[in-house]
Amino acid sequence: MSNSKRGIIKRIKNMLSNKEISCKELTEKYLSEIKKSNLNAYVTVCEEKAYKDAEKIDEKISSGEELNFLEGVPMALKDIISTDGIETTCCSKILSGYKPIFDATVWKKLKQNGAVLLGKLNMDEFAMGSSCENSCIGGAKNPHNINHVSGGSSGGSASAVAGNIAAYALGTDTGGSVRQPASFCGVVGLKPTYGAVSRYGVIAYASGFDQVGPIAQTVEDVSLVFDAISGYDFHDSTSNPNVKMKTFNGINNDIKGLKIGIPKEYYDGVDEKIKLSIEEAVKVYESMGATIEYFDFPEVKYSLPVYYILACAEATSNLARFDGVRYGYRTEHYKDINEMICKTRSEGFGPEVKRRILLGNYVLSSGYYDSYYKKAQNLRAVIIKAFDRAFEKYDVLITPTSPVTAFECNKKFSNPQEIYLADICTVPVNTVGIPGISVPCGFDSKGLPIGMQILGPKFSESKLLNVAHKYETFTDYKNNKCVEMGVRL
Amino acid sequence: MISRDEMLNLANLSKLYLSEDEIEDAMKEMDGMIDFANQIKEMSPNSHETPNINGLSNALRDDEVIESYPQNKILENVNGGKDGYFYIKKYN
Repeated sequence: MSNSKRGIIKRIKNMLSNKEISCKELTEKYLSEIKKSNLNAYVTVCEEKAYKDAEKIDEKISSGEELNFLEGVPMALKDIISTDGIETTCCSKILSGYKPIFDATVWKKLKQNGAVLLGKLNMDEFAMGSSCENSCIGGAKNPHNINHVSGGSSGGSASAVAGNIAAYALGTDTGGSVRQPASFCGVVGLKPTYGAVSRYGVIAYASGFDQVGPIAQTVEDVSLVFDAISGYDFHDSTSNPNVKMKTFNGINNDIKGLKIGIPKEYYDGVDEKIKLSIEEAVKVYESMGATIEYFDFPEVKYSLPVYYILACAEATSNLARFDGVRYGYRTEHYKDINEMICKTRSEGFGPEVKRRILLGNYVLSSGYYDSYYKKAQNLRAVIIKAFDRAFEKYDVLITPTSPVTAFECNKKFSNPQEIYLADICTVPVNTVGIPGISVPCGFDSKGLPIGMQILGPKFSESKLLNVAHKYETFTDYKNNKCVEMGVRL
Repeated sequence: MISRDEMLNLANLSKLYLSEDEIEDAMKEMDGMIDFANQIKEMSPNSHETPNINGLSNALRDDEVIESYPQNKILENVNGGKDGYFYIKKYN
């Protein structure tokens, strides 16, 4: 059977339970396709560990024990998620050789669910970028056309899932880093509500914006993974102790009467073909009994500068810990401690990371703090209120995930701000802390995927996954070239 | 326009060295980034509220000693350190 739009996780569970394939054989299939792959999606492959874990699952199967949904499913993690004893570098030279001594909570939870870890995935250095090309090993490629980028920063995660060399993956989303690559690679990516998933053990870029999210072939798979990783964690003081979400049982609910808002400002400067695809998708919802209303949302355009000011300020503080003393890279020659730290950081960080550290220090420095950092915080409150008002009227909002489809590799941008504009549709979600999901909704004239973004109020993941799933069941993937790639089950 | 002295001060605060060529480029880039950030000046917020992104406050635990990570494990990332410490070269 070829890879179709049906969830791969359920299929794997059935195959393993029915003994059509052993977990070791399945893992071997993935590892062999990873070796053959030209996507540059993996930065570390954990062959030995994956086989060991697979054997344990096989023992469980032969003893007649029932498997849960994620048990034995070969998957991979963005290289920003700490894995005990396995190199975790954020694709930065400054963390080369660093092996965490503990597991991030999300990985601990998946491990408890019997996940088989194939390896760690490529990303923009410290999750700063929209193309994955800021990685110290070069960018992950787009499986739909390897001359195009995978998107970023979780480019390796989206590329591996789309190219069928991981059944699912985790990414992180600070300004769109799960949704935008998912959109570029034609897969599904969920950015959960801030506080819904533990950030413990996830190397921080901007702590007030970061969230871990699943990337998978289908909404159903994303829902299963989200249910496994979400929930309160004692180790993350920003995780919410009051909310428990189980989304899977509701993904087929009827959406008749759903109120959809379309914020007009999200469509400024968006490619025509993308606009058309979203309009078509919206018609599908209308045919299912949803009501559609276009509305003005002027506040949203300030999200991008607000995000870059605040995220860079937080990054400056978070990245101050990399001094070459305790882990990772350390410069060889130095004459005092200050020179050691400065040389280590200058040699260890790439240009985009340095750029953001410098901007962060600028907006936090005396004389500029009030006019940039403090004002951006005030505006963040204004944008949050504007979204609250929108969600009083509408159940969900629908927008494009990105104003463009995957651009060519090594594309020259005239300045850094030009590439920041690629985040314009995704950044508001992180500024406000709400959830957002990207689902494939068509292809452009070059055959590159288009993503539709669905947004809901805080902790509305069940509704979002339900709405996304309803659309997905309506669409088909016959134009998806990637179905013949990688592991075919 | 950001001045050369301001740029050097920022590099110093950031614990980054910039070469002569890098200083020029960084100044140009910083000007562009500041222009980009200046978009927020178009909007005057009607409140001076600071947002609480997840609505939680005072997420404190009980003040009890809890288990931490063993020293030798932590030092594995610097080849074991020296005498239980992180170790850097001696300098004068």
